[in-house]
Amino acid sequence: MKRSTDKYVDGKRHILVADDEYINREMLENILSDKYDILKAEDGDMAYDLIRQNHNTLSLILLDLMMPRLNGLELLERLKDDPELKSIPVIVLTSDQASEVESLHRGAADFIPKPYPNPEVIKARISRSIELAEDRQIISATEKDELTGLYTSEYFYRYGEQYDKFHPTSDMDAVCFDVNHFHVLNERFGMAKGDEILKRIASCLMKSFPSDCVICRKTADTFLVYCPHRDDYSKLVETISASCDDMPTSVKMRVGIYASCDKKLDIQSRFDRAKIAADKIRNNYSVFVSNFDEALMQKELFAEQLMDEFPKAIAEKQFEVFFQPKYDIRGDKPVLSSAEALVRWFHPTLGTISPGAFIPLFEDNGLIARLDEYVWRRTAEKIADWKNRIGSSVPVSVNLSRVEMYDPMLVETFEKITSDNNITTKDIYLEITESAYVRDSDQIADRVAQLRDHGFFIEMDDFGSGYSSLNMISELPLDALKLDIMFIRTAFDKRNDTRMISIVIDIADYLGVPVIAEGVETEEQYLTLKKLGCAIIQGYYFSKPLPADEFEKLLKKDS
Amino acid sequence: MLTIDSLKAFGANTDDALARCMGNESFYFKLIGKVLEDRNFDVLEKAIISKDYDTAFEAAHSLKGVLGNLSLTPIYDPVNELTELLREKRDMDYTPYLKTITEKKEDLSKVM
Repeated sequence: MKRSTDKYVDGKRHILVADDEYINREMLENILSDKYDILKAEDGDMAYDLIRQNHNTLSLILLDLMMPRLNGLELLERLKDDPELKSIPVIVLTSDQASEVESLHRGAADFIPKPYPNPEVIKARISRSIELAEDRQIISATEKDELTGLYTSEYFYRYGEQYDKFHPTSDMDAVCFDVNHFHVLNERFGMAKGDEILKRIASCLMKSFPSDCVICRKTADTFLVYCPHRDDYSKLVETISASCDDMPTSVKMRVGIYASCDKKLDIQSRFDRAKIAADKIRNNYSVFVSNFDEALMQKELFAEQLMDEFPKAIAEKQFEVFFQPKYDIRGDKPVLSSAEALVRWFHPTLGTISPGAFIPLFEDNGLIARLDEYVWRRTAEKIADWKNRIGSSVPVSVNLSRVEMYDPMLVETFEKITSDNNITTKDIYLEITESAYVRDSDQIADRVAQLRDHGFFIEMDDFGSGYSSLNMISELPLDALKLDIMFIRTAFDKRNDTRMISIVIDIADYLGVPVIAEGVETEEQYLTLKKLGCAIIQGYYFSKPLPADEFEKLLKKDS
Repeated sequence: MLTIDSLKAFGANTDDALARCMGNESFYFKLIGKVLEDRNFDVLEKAIISKDYDTAFEAAHSLKGVLGNLSLTPIYDPVNELTELLREKRDMDYTPYLKTITEKKEDLSKVM
């Protein structure tokens, strides 16, 4: 790469004066020689030869337009067509005003009229032209990726913004191309082959997009394109992959598209979205085109916000425990027998957040353990409060997540919660989801058995949603089976088929435990379940989950 | 002997020319010596006689640049006019211009 500092290693920059008149050459040399080293040419051919020989060290060319053999305008054209020479600035020497304009159009940096103006003017114009050319060279050294000749990302974003400025109404796509498993290609075939592939891709991209589109190589194998909206990306990605057909292995490109992007977003964010789309299919070997999904992004952002705000929500007690009554329907009249503690999040700005929005999220990232323990404690406090103030309570079941089953301190935690609140293991029931039993079932079963040995009542939650083997069920430590809500939904939809429920009730009978049905919403469901032998019912038919004070009223009425 | 005063008397704008020569008088005088040897005067004359107006224009144009730079106004003026006429390739009698140019060159030679 040519660097501006190469040009004056001996302290002076080099200037070529090309003029067929001796006097003009001498005069310019006399003006410039204290600051520059001067090369001189008497005609166009000689000038061209000198330029070719010295192009690495030449800072500027002073060019007379009318010269024997090769005239100045022809020479200028030749220079501008030559990638090696076109960056050397040319100042045209002319006595014709018409030529001044024409030479500027043909790429001259400036002109100096004849008769020459004051030498100070000449020097200033020359120095300015050199400075501009050198600045431009520094810019072009940093704006282009050395390997592929595409823009670097910094300049890419700037040119993208510039494009928007001049095309404010264009419908634009932010596009991100990646090579699937490029690092593996590099490992298998060496960096040189990897570079060859990248160059091939770059040139294919340049051919595939109109020249006013902005293209860059962002990092190793990531290419970004900012272009007017189009629909042929899947064909395009095939073409690019095919351009590497002669490589030792097949090269598979994938493309992420943020189509018709929102220009209110800053340009980097637009390409972040294209990259998110591209990464979504990173490990998919059959899909090569991926569109950015706004709804998914919103969901992820929301999830991120919830996780961020979780500690504050715990500290500020934004989570509240609600109680959904469970009724024993085995007698003539349904009797309030227990309740399930359910968490609700009342966020100061987002309002009520549905448990469906945060429970699965917290289960994924482990925050659920802190939330569950919070709920256990609040529930225990409430039970103690009711026992103390109104002298009555019913057992309340709390939910345990799978991760908590691996906590060696789990039994101690519950013992502490009960003793801290002066309640017993008969006051607080534990709901453990069936799927928790299945994985590492021995370990989980041991943990459940420990809890049960300490006197806790265990309800197997969501029974039928997991994959318990019938063989295993008889050995599991449990005190009640809680039907998965899907059984109720399917049994009472159009098919009206309750046979599966009967089977589960038979299993419960065999194990000697009661069946609890949740999600019961209608009288018909209630009566059917009662007839089938279901012991306990929970659902909107009796009551929705209630805040503590309203549940307290039920307790008082019942007692 | 050539002096600034004698050049002024000849009609040259010596202030401008000296400025272009960075105030170096002997350099200025040396270049004036060279202009009298410029072969474009011959080329111009021969081309006009043979009505080769392209060649004549190129020669006149070159001389115009040089004479302008040396501010030799009495020769520059007729050369300048001649250049513009030749640019349009007018088929006319150019000899009066050639004559003036030759006379003024001789005046300059005498000054030297």
